[in-house]
Amino acid sequence: MLLDYDRLGWLRAALLGFTGLVAAFLLLPVVFIVLLSFGSSRWLAFPPPGWTLKWYEELFADPAWLEAALTSARIATMAAILAVVIGLLASFALVRGQFRGRNTLRGLLLTPMVLPVVVFAIAIYAFFLRIGLGGTTAGFVIAHTVLALPFAIIPITAALEGFDKSIEDAAIVCGASPFEAKLRVTLPAIKIGIFSAAIFAFLASWDEVVVAIFMASPTLQTLPVKIWGSLRQDLSPVIAAASSLLVLLTLSLMIVTSLIRRKLSK
Amino acid sequence: MSGHLLHRQPILRTPDGIGGALPALILIALFFVVPVVALLLRSVTEPVPGLQNYAILFGDGTYARVFFNTFLVATVVTAVTVIVAFPVAWMLAIMPPALGSIVFGIIILSMWTNLLTRTYAWMVLLQRTGVINRTLMDIGLISEPLPLINNLTGVTIGMVYIMLPFMILPLVGTLRAIDPMTLRAAALCGASPFDAFRRILLPLSLPGIAAGGLMVFVMSLGYFVTPTLLGGTSNMMLAAMIAQMIQSLLNWGLGSAAAFILLLVTMALYALQLRLVGAKRMTGGI
Repeated sequence: MLLDYDRLGWLRAALLGFTGLVAAFLLLPVVFIVLLSFGSSRWLAFPPPGWTLKWYEELFADPAWLEAALTSARIATMAAILAVVIGLLASFALVRGQFRGRNTLRGLLLTPMVLPVVVFAIAIYAFFLRIGLGGTTAGFVIAHTVLALPFAIIPITAALEGFDKSIEDAAIVCGASPFEAKLRVTLPAIKIGIFSAAIFAFLASWDEVVVAIFMASPTLQTLPVKIWGSLRQDLSPVIAAASSLLVLLTLSLMIVTSLIRRKLSK
Repeated sequence: MSGHLLHRQPILRTPDGIGGALPALILIALFFVVPVVALLLRSVTEPVPGLQNYAILFGDGTYARVFFNTFLVATVVTAVTVIVAFPVAWMLAIMPPALGSIVFGIIILSMWTNLLTRTYAWMVLLQRTGVINRTLMDIGLISEPLPLINNLTGVTIGMVYIMLPFMILPLVGTLRAIDPMTLRAAALCGASPFDAFRRILLPLSLPGIAAGGLMVFVMSLGYFVTPTLLGGTSNMMLAAMIAQMIQSLLNWGLGSAAAFILLLVTMALYALQLRLVGAKRMTGGI
């Protein structure tokens, strides 16, 4: 009875009401920030005394914001490509390999997702200072690839586990080389997994704050570092404008993802 | 063509070996394991070899307070998250798909929105002159603004907000896997809805609650951004203290000792979680 939606009775109304409240709670900060970015009050009064676009003008007038966004996009793209390629190769070994310690290896490769980022951040910061990669794009990309790797491995291994290997073997029997069979049979079959991996890996780097705070230099800072720096100074509405653009980006990413997933699964 | 086929035969019998994992293994060994181990070594070698850094951390009341704060916040956040997430996951598991996809959409939007953006929103909402205090004062519930930010209340609200999706999403999977027949049977045998909940639904969803709860607890212990921005300087949590020891105080010995304690607790709980649910179930969130 408790798991039959149509037979819950009064309990259903109560639970639906509660779910609605939680959904509103989850939506509240996102909607609030977007509304605030159009409000005319510098002190973030709400409801705003009037509406304006001046925070967006201020945002675009300061080239540091755009530069930080471009830096973030560049680093996140490179980290996502590396994580997906390395993660794809590793997934074949993790799903199909028959060697001792396979589960241990899986656990090890997923550890960057579990270890508190602050521990990794100071460790890689110290390490890069020593080997001369501190404050460089290469250093950023390497550190973010490490953090993004688990987010690439999880969807790809999941997709690969759902794929019947005998189809790939059939292609080999029909004369394809093992590489060709993987490229033309297996990869198209697990493309949704690879696509999810790319999105998650990109976001893992794009949103990353803690490693970025330690790695950033005056000449190289990502968007989260720029926001972090502004937040520590004051709660300027310009941050609300930047944040709203990030919300817009998230929304478009969600729509594109669901469209592509729908298309790919046809 | 047939010669070609014969030539390829042996490969059919060789499964994919460990080879493909080599690039990942090298990346993780060189840029994850080595730096972390090197950092932990500093905790027993700086400023002089020995365990003095750990003696300082465990001997000083200031640090004890940080440890206490961290565990307190993680515990409260986990408890609140579980209690709030359960009814939502329950509804999501059985809701008509059209309605459910709206709620799922909101959860994903909140989860994918930039972490700093969400934290910034809570900083504005919770401040002394923020919307929440103004509203409560306008309707006459309070006469003075409540201190909602720069204390552990603010940290808890912000953290619960961030952790909710991580609890709801895996729990939906657990609840969907329960056969509704078991609950119909209970009702037929005369169990009241409360009894059916307490003796069937709750026990059957306990593995999901334990897995999600442990994940939220572990993530909360080491969280840096939200506690730092919402907690203020006088309510520091462990991750913020570690960052401060390294960044502002340049005390690498003490900072890496504190990092080692955080790592040890996290890894112990991670191992416990793997035993409870297995490596695959744990990642049901994504």
